[in-house]
Amino acid sequence: MIADQSKVRNIGISAHIDSGKTTLTERVLYYTHRIHSIHDVKGKDGVGATMDSMELEKERGITIASAATFCQWKGHEINIIDTPGHVDFTIEVERSLRVLDGAILVLCSVGGVQSQSITVDQQMKRYKVPCIAFINKCDRSGANPDRVIRQLREKLGHNAVALQLPIGLEADLEGVVDLVAMKALYFDGENGETVREEEIPESLMASAVERREALIDAASMFSDELMEAALEESVTEELLYAALRKATLTREITPVLMGSAYKNKGIQPLLDAVTHLLPCPADVQNEALDMDNAEQPVALVTDSKKPLVALAFKLEDGQYGQLTYVRVYQGKLAKGETILNANRGKKIKVGRLVRMHADQMEEIDAIPAGYIGALFGVDCASGDTFVNPGINVSLTSMFVPEPVISLALSAKDNHSQTNISKALNRFTKEDPTFRTHVNQETGETIIEGMGELHLEIYIERMRREYKAEVETGQPRVAYRETITRRAEFNYTHKKQTGGAGQFGRIAGYIEPVEDEEFVFENRIVGGSIPTQFIPACEKGFRDCLQKGPKLDFPVTGVKVVIDDGASHSVDSSEMAFMAAARGAFRETYPKARPVVLEPIMKVVVETPSEFQGAVMGSLNQRRGMILGSQDEGPMCAIEAQIPLAEMFGYSTVLRSLTQGKAQFTMEFSSYKPVPQSITDELVKKASEAKQKVA
Amino acid sequence: MLINDLILRNPLRLMQADSTKDTLRPGAFGAVLARAGVGKTALLVQLALNSMLEKKNVLHISLQDPVNKVSLWYTEVFHHIAQQYAVSQANELWDTLLPHRFIMTFRVEGFAAAKLEERVNDLSEQGIFTPNMIIIDGYPFEQDMGAALSELKELAGRRGCHVWFTVRTHRHEAPEQFGLPRQMSDIAELFDIILQLQPEGKDIHIKALKVPGTEAGSSKLFLDPATMLITNSH
Repeated sequence: MIADQSKVRNIGISAHIDSGKTTLTERVLYYTHRIHSIHDVKGKDGVGATMDSMELEKERGITIASAATFCQWKGHEINIIDTPGHVDFTIEVERSLRVLDGAILVLCSVGGVQSQSITVDQQMKRYKVPCIAFINKCDRSGANPDRVIRQLREKLGHNAVALQLPIGLEADLEGVVDLVAMKALYFDGENGETVREEEIPESLMASAVERREALIDAASMFSDELMEAALEESVTEELLYAALRKATLTREITPVLMGSAYKNKGIQPLLDAVTHLLPCPADVQNEALDMDNAEQPVALVTDSKKPLVALAFKLEDGQYGQLTYVRVYQGKLAKGETILNANRGKKIKVGRLVRMHADQMEEIDAIPAGYIGALFGVDCASGDTFVNPGINVSLTSMFVPEPVISLALSAKDNHSQTNISKALNRFTKEDPTFRTHVNQETGETIIEGMGELHLEIYIERMRREYKAEVETGQPRVAYRETITRRAEFNYTHKKQTGGAGQFGRIAGYIEPVEDEEFVFENRIVGGSIPTQFIPACEKGFRDCLQKGPKLDFPVTGVKVVIDDGASHSVDSSEMAFMAAARGAFRETYPKARPVVLEPIMKVVVETPSEFQGAVMGSLNQRRGMILGSQDEGPMCAIEAQIPLAEMFGYSTVLRSLTQGKAQFTMEFSSYKPVPQSITDELVKKASEAKQKVA
Repeated sequence: MLINDLILRNPLRLMQADSTKDTLRPGAFGAVLARAGVGKTALLVQLALNSMLEKKNVLHISLQDPVNKVSLWYTEVFHHIAQQYAVSQANELWDTLLPHRFIMTFRVEGFAAAKLEERVNDLSEQGIFTPNMIIIDGYPFEQDMGAALSELKELAGRRGCHVWFTVRTHRHEAPEQFGLPRQMSDIAELFDIILQLQPEGKDIHIKALKVPGTEAGSSKLFLDPATMLITNSH
């Protein structure tokens, strides 16, 4: 391991699905001698790219798990996290971004900035990850890097500046002009492994000079030294890189490189750019929360001599047990040491430590500050913080969205039942957006997640990795209930059936509240309900929220205020007041005009313009509200808000409407009331289901 | 009460002698002139919200900003209005307004009357959206667009809607006749109404450069520089 931290880079490769980032990673590993042959994603040779270590990923040609790997380039050590591109796996992307210092944003030179790139870019902004852009697939017909640079500026608001100029485009792509060194670069050899430097071709010279000037202009805004050198016409490579690096680290400039990973062009200069322009661990300010001091932020120092603070960001089930990927922010994680899981308060002895290269590994003795590695045989969940005993800090908890879709599961046989439990246990630890519970009434196992594909992938993994024969029900939307007006209650719970009686009167009102699940306010004065029974009242109301009286969906957005009541010196008890609260809620809820809420998704469809009428029609049929359409020359993006319940099977519909040329992404937007006709249908379905259970 | 109150704020209504005539006739053009960043889009978004409150459909075409950004303009302006008038159930009102708006963005070079007509037909034939008012933000008036504008005017007439444009003016160019900037002087006859936003001191005046029945250069309305909302006092 390199002792000099300034030569370490922890980077991610983020992009829209199918932009070729797995191919790009594969080439990076090849040129850095981590692998010795190249495979394609949808491998004709049946081997598949190295980063997609899960069988399923290989088959579908997509990356699900963010496998971490490392490589070395010109004296630098680069840790790479391969991130998933589909929005259904956003938690994975966000978790990866949390541990990265910098990123390569891969864009397709034909497709340009697509909807998922926008989502990924927003996430990068949130975690302030500096990035460089790589315009891939310049060999494809319709490639237009200039358009992509324009889109980076217009759609994503990046101050994008080109560091290169392509030599030829589409089928004629030969190499790139390096605008910093003012050299033409060609990639020779069977796999483009030899970089040949030449003079810039005559035909491109004028354009190269002009672009270089634009590059210097943009960079000199961030360096007085460069500005002076530019005026004196004595700009050196070092000076230009220093200015570019400074601006890149603060996200004020996004340097743009280009090439074609598939055709082995432009990858080595991209690696050079990673070492020149992206931050080392010490360049990035990381913070933890001090748990002893009201979660005040504490700055972490990338110093191996300080106490340990590390984050478990990814779990994987390997043949030797659970493999936990960690990023060490401060201190050193060494073999044989005892560390503390700050989130669970458990002490752990560090056993084997490894450095990963997709599914091969290398044993190491310690993971120093700023590095990424993996631990064996540690029981924890992703997002847990490891520290040295004695300090009590936790790394910022990551935002976890609520699941919007659920599915009932059942095992075909006993053997599968055990395997399903094992699998569910693993998946819920790996992915906080994936949840599971058992329905008390039906005894079915319910899994919940962020979309149809999200759940489908886990079911496939149960079948393949755990050999579990699973039967699934129809996906169900996570509806909710809420109230829309204020209603008052005054309820007395009284029981006198021999033995000690029960008595409690409770009065007040319920009303809608925005942005909160449940608010309880006690305005009792004069002790009409004794203080010791108030928590029982709150609990009584809270219990009612789990299952709304209207349709059994969870109730949200309710504020309960109690302002009067009565008690009896002998017959009042916690139980009596809990029962009174439940009675009060049941009585008053129908008066508060309850409605059913459904998850509304933000859907973006990218389609060739000729199909946009048909696509809009298909969105409109799904109770969707189309917000607008964005014309991008041959392609067009349509944005709409559509109830999740109407989106089942949409991918098939969209494929057949557009000859498979359109794609869509979907993410949760908000909860909105369900129209009356749909509520009636839900009521009907619910009563049918109840009859079946009975 | 609220809706009527909001509708009554329509600057055209206050500017014109006949207070019932608050919208342009089908096929008519209106323009809002100002330098960059003074509030052209904010003003037009208020006109659009006004139409949406009257349950009229607005097609907002932007030739420079993406759908999200245009959408953000509406949310911001609406929230300012909701705050100013202390609207109690703003979210519900917003939900009822949204179906009356459709945003389209085009690249400047790809925008033409024929393409717009194709898109609008697509929407109205499927019963998705039929505009009553069109806003075109970012139209390239610097170039000689006389013929293209005439085609748009014909299209608007056929579809029975009126069109509002934003026109960006430049500080260094001296105005020509009636205070119109150079790029508007040749095509002024295509427009029924031309308003100009003129910052004077702390205020932004909404000046009538060409409004039937109103003296050119008169100004009764202002934009509040803090909220960009139309006011009649300062």
